[in-house]
Amino acid sequence: MFQNSGLSLDQAPPISVVFRFFLAGSLWGIAAGIWLFFAGAPALEPSTPEALILTHMLTLGVMLSFMLGALFQMLPVLAGVALHDPVKAAIRSQYPILFGTLFLLSAFATASGALYAFALLFLGIGLLPIAARMLSRLYRLPSHSPSSRGMGFSLYNLLLLVAVGGWMLALLGGWMQRGDLPALKQLHLDLGLLGWIALLIVSVSFQVIEMFYVTPPYPKRYARWMPALLTGTLTVEFVAALNAPVLEPWIESFAAILLMVHALLTLRRLSMRQRPLTDATVWFWRLGMGALAAAMLLLVVGNLTDLSTSLTMVLYVLYTSFALSVVLAMAYKIVPFLTWFHLNAQGYFTAPMMHEVIHPQNAKRHLALHSTTVFVALVAAFDPRLWPLAGSLLCASFAWIAVNIYRAWHLYLHVQKTGERFDMGSFS
Amino acid sequence: MTRLLLDAREMEHPEPLEKAIAILRGLDEESYLYMLHRREPVPLTALAREHGLNALVRCDEQGEWHILISRNRDIDLEAFLLDRDSRA
Repeated sequence: MFQNSGLSLDQAPPISVVFRFFLAGSLWGIAAGIWLFFAGAPALEPSTPEALILTHMLTLGVMLSFMLGALFQMLPVLAGVALHDPVKAAIRSQYPILFGTLFLLSAFATASGALYAFALLFLGIGLLPIAARMLSRLYRLPSHSPSSRGMGFSLYNLLLLVAVGGWMLALLGGWMQRGDLPALKQLHLDLGLLGWIALLIVSVSFQVIEMFYVTPPYPKRYARWMPALLTGTLTVEFVAALNAPVLEPWIESFAAILLMVHALLTLRRLSMRQRPLTDATVWFWRLGMGALAAAMLLLVVGNLTDLSTSLTMVLYVLYTSFALSVVLAMAYKIVPFLTWFHLNAQGYFTAPMMHEVIHPQNAKRHLALHSTTVFVALVAAFDPRLWPLAGSLLCASFAWIAVNIYRAWHLYLHVQKTGERFDMGSFS
Repeated sequence: MTRLLLDAREMEHPEPLEKAIAILRGLDEESYLYMLHRREPVPLTALAREHGLNALVRCDEQGEWHILISRNRDIDLEAFLLDRDSRA
């Protein structure tokens, strides 16, 4: 009648592994806000160096940092995959990614071939080994949940994304002539935004929405096939980018519809919570999924007809709001949990409860700040004078989460230093 | 043995973990935690094992998880598993 536990977890990854990525992501968010403040509307106009810099600050700086941190934390818990020596693995990927990102941003600003080459080298060193290692561990799992399968597909898309990015840098640096740059750019965008960022969030949501918020599960067949279908679609787009770029918008639209369906399914699930308690993280998820649905709708419309510059900016703002809202929702769950968990695992009587690490009221205030940032950025798409204000708010929003992460880290160290410990026998 | 039941099937994160840890801290040689959950609480069992407690985790036919943890390592927790009828 009873089935044995399929998962075992000896220990969670060290708290420093996750916090170092989250803190780095927050600092990149502050930098992105400062950049938006000074660059203004050109930072949202496609193909300007300012826009390339802002986009990569947000994707390589903010999103990649938070997502790698979350993967180190989630792989053992959601997929039963614990990486050997995670501290070393984290350091070996974080620093090359940091330098690679700085080289890339400088290359966008100066169009220097040498800087593109350094960017390619460092980003390759930072990203490829860790992505390949995580993917190979997932591949060797005897059985998969929808989350672990989806994480595997999103890591596969990340590897493709890096390969296409490298190809584009080789074209920009002048070391290679083969390839249609606009078609590769489109593919790079879709692999990054839809296949890596969105699919990783989708994969995590399969488990955490039900687990955190006591909702009905996603339909089984949908959860099983959606990541494969999205990845298959993007793989077809890969082939089209090389051979028939005219097909790319149609394939992209299909991928966008898949993500729109996911956003609506998630919103539906969140409306069916069994115990609808007030929690800021639910609203971060709702805001994120609402923004994803609207962004994907605009993407499809944009492929059928030309969007005005303002609506294109709205599309960028909505997609960014989706990704950042979910990142914040996860950070407000993961940071208090890890602080609490590690202190309890080490046996500190004085370990704070999770709500004492980051008070729920604090997260609610951040939700208000974040929602205001999104609103101002949406209005700024029609009134460019508001971009500096949007930049300031973005900066403040990431400073807020950075302070919360730092405080949690400080509290953790403080309890370790001053707290009373109990051993196994004194659990009672 | 005294069963300290924690039905966490409709509790939102992080309530089940915090309540379970509070119960674990109060366990004596004659009591055990019996937790019902809709998911496997991996961090809780990891914590219990980290502290050398006796832990048993099973999933029943309805997909509900039964987590039994005692301080007393000499007891067979398997013998305390409840089926649906005895819970009712």
